[in-house]
Amino acid sequence: MSGVKLEKIVKAYGRLEVVHGIDLEVKEKEFVVLVGPSGCGKSTTLRMIAGLEEISAGDISIDGRVVNRVAPKDRDVAMVFQNYALYPHLSVFENIAFGLRIRKESKGHIEKTVKEASDILGLTPYLDRKPAELSGGQRQRVAMGRAIVRRPKVFLFDEPLSNLDAKLRTQMRAEIKQLHRRLGATSVYVTHDQVEAMTLADRIVVMNDGNIEQIGSPMELFMNPANTFVAGFIGSPPMNQLQGNIEKVSSGLQVRINDTVIDLPNNTNVEDGQSVVLGIRPEHISLSNNEGTSAMSISLNLVETLGSEALLHAKFGEQDMIVKAETNGQIDHLSEISTVYAPTDLVKVFDAKSGLVLSEPFSQGSNT
Amino acid sequence: MAVGMNLYSRGDKLFALATSVLIGLFTVATFYPFIYIAAVSFSGGFAAAAGKVVLTPVDSTLAAYKYILTQPKFWISYGNTFIYTIGGTIMSLLIIIPGAYALSRPQLMGRRFWNLFVAFTLWFNAGLIPFFLNMRDLNLLDSYFGIIIGFAVNAFNLILLRNFFESLPQSFQEAARMDGANDFQILWKVYIPLSKPAIATITLFCIVSRWNGFFWAMVLLQSEEKIPLQVFLRHTIAFLSDDHEFTATLSSQPYSAESVTAAIIVCSIIPVLIVYPFIQKYFEKGILLGGVKE
Ligand SMILES: Nc1ncnc2c1ncn2[C@@H]1O[C@H](COP(=O)(O)OP(=O)(O)OP(=O)(O)O)[C@@H](O)[C@H]1O
Ligand SMILES: [Mg+2]
Repeated sequence: MSGVKLEKIVKAYGRLEVVHGIDLEVKEKEFVVLVGPSGCGKSTTLRMIAGLEEISAGDISIDGRVVNRVAPKDRDVAMVFQNYALYPHLSVFENIAFGLRIRKESKGHIEKTVKEASDILGLTPYLDRKPAELSGGQRQRVAMGRAIVRRPKVFLFDEPLSNLDAKLRTQMRAEIKQLHRRLGATSVYVTHDQVEAMTLADRIVVMNDGNIEQIGSPMELFMNPANTFVAGFIGSPPMNQLQGNIEKVSSGLQVRINDTVIDLPNNTNVEDGQSVVLGIRPEHISLSNNEGTSAMSISLNLVETLGSEALLHAKFGEQDMIVKAETNGQIDHLSEISTVYAPTDLVKVFDAKSGLVLSEPFSQGSNT
Repeated sequence: MAVGMNLYSRGDKLFALATSVLIGLFTVATFYPFIYIAAVSFSGGFAAAAGKVVLTPVDSTLAAYKYILTQPKFWISYGNTFIYTIGGTIMSLLIIIPGAYALSRPQLMGRRFWNLFVAFTLWFNAGLIPFFLNMRDLNLLDSYFGIIIGFAVNAFNLILLRNFFESLPQSFQEAARMDGANDFQILWKVYIPLSKPAIATITLFCIVSRWNGFFWAMVLLQSEEKIPLQVFLRHTIAFLSDDHEFTATLSSQPYSAESVTAAIIVCSIIPVLIVYPFIQKYFEKGILLGGVKE
């Protein structure tokens, strides 16, 4: 069981505490993505798992063994760095073979393993080149090759794709996913890009300011954000958040925003008059008046065309909101829109003060 | 300029001209002494002593070279200079490279103290007599080893290399540590290959200062058979100028103190001229290119 377990992990630089006692369990063969805004402690957490950073308090175990005081080389983990950190004076072959040579593997074993890795990564034609003679994507592959030849228990990635252009990033993202399927290695991946997180992860860990806000599968986070932070971080564009107040009426629960009332599911745990934040995903808002929806009058500012979809940037009263609409090849009709409809059973309610969710979660399986 | 496009302003051109002139003057000023010394060494004794040589040898003769090359002491001191230079440079590198690496590690205990401890010697040292007494008490007077070890660590070179090590991206050593390397392996397989230009620089500094090392060799060495070439040069100058008989017969001698001195200097310059191009090639730029993405 080569899982990774973090228990009450704290990291402080002098008096400055940057990670505040986080708990996380990564199961064997699982691909877990740490995501969060810049400076929230993702890299620090990853580097503590790697052993490059000392732990101020708590326990990290790998494969059931506490490794707090174990040197990086004895943890059996491999890491892919954001800046690749390839050795400029060594050829691609030697870069990939470096860890094996250090471990005094036999010549035959090194040849065979490096060849396998370079075949998987499409690096075979470049084995004699120096890193300076490679493109960004190829360098990234060499960095991955260096990690995979050692067959480590755990792979760590620190924003490995952030130096690549958008197209290459999408391609490499798919390659990493395939590689993970193929090798089935336990992986912890850091990124601040929620799209990368959604596409790669078995489970996502959303971090903010040294704390974990929520852990869950991509769809769980998408459908059931635990608080306004996660709601505002996951999804692109993220969930609309509108300030309002609860009104309990005979027909059920409503939230009043200015002059508009929007119906809520009955199982929402709220009190009359409570200040709340109403969360509506841009893609859940419909343009037609279906059953079980509440009308919202908006004034449109801008239509952004993405192709099959368009983003309507609008004002609802004083508050900003975004609607994602299908274009079906036409966008002219979108600029006429003045009313949109919020689906009652897909809206979320958060407490205005704590930001915590008040709605009952959607049950697993009934998603989308 | 034919197309009429003026890429450089008048000021730019003036600046380029002024720089060229200054560099030209500087080159002449540094190069002329070499020409002069070489010319004197091949000149007749009288012409050399009378200061008649300007650019080319006067009364050309190899007499000065014959005189020194037949002196066994010249060859002994020449050999000694090689021993001090090679031994001293190797000793310096053996101490400075690991020392600079250790001082560059953030996790070194008492790092600030050690760095200050080294830098301190840039501004203050004990002075001539305490140093001499120290060497005497260590039994290092008049010994090859004393000269080699006594001047092995140069704070300036140490700090130069430490700064270079510190400027290498941390991720190199982190990647190497993840790959299982210990500090010795990181130093040997990653830092040293990446630092070739810096190490070439300090190697050259060490070689040149050892090769020219004169003062301490004169103070610390007594035995004639242990002195380096520079001290032999001084002895020769003193001997030839004091030798009344020699001075008296000056006009009949094909060499003089001046031409012999010049010949020794020429002999001492040749090895440095030979070594320099080999080290020069390590001053390549952009060795880090492509290793990390900035
Ligand atoms: N050596 C250090 N000394 C002091 N503070 C540090 C040090 N390293 C990191 N920090 C602080 O710790 C916090 C977390 O840093 P970390 O690098 O983990 O952020 P991150 O989530 O990886 O951000 P990014 O997405 O920008 O890489 C930041 O506030 C940072 O300023
Ligand atoms: Mg980071």
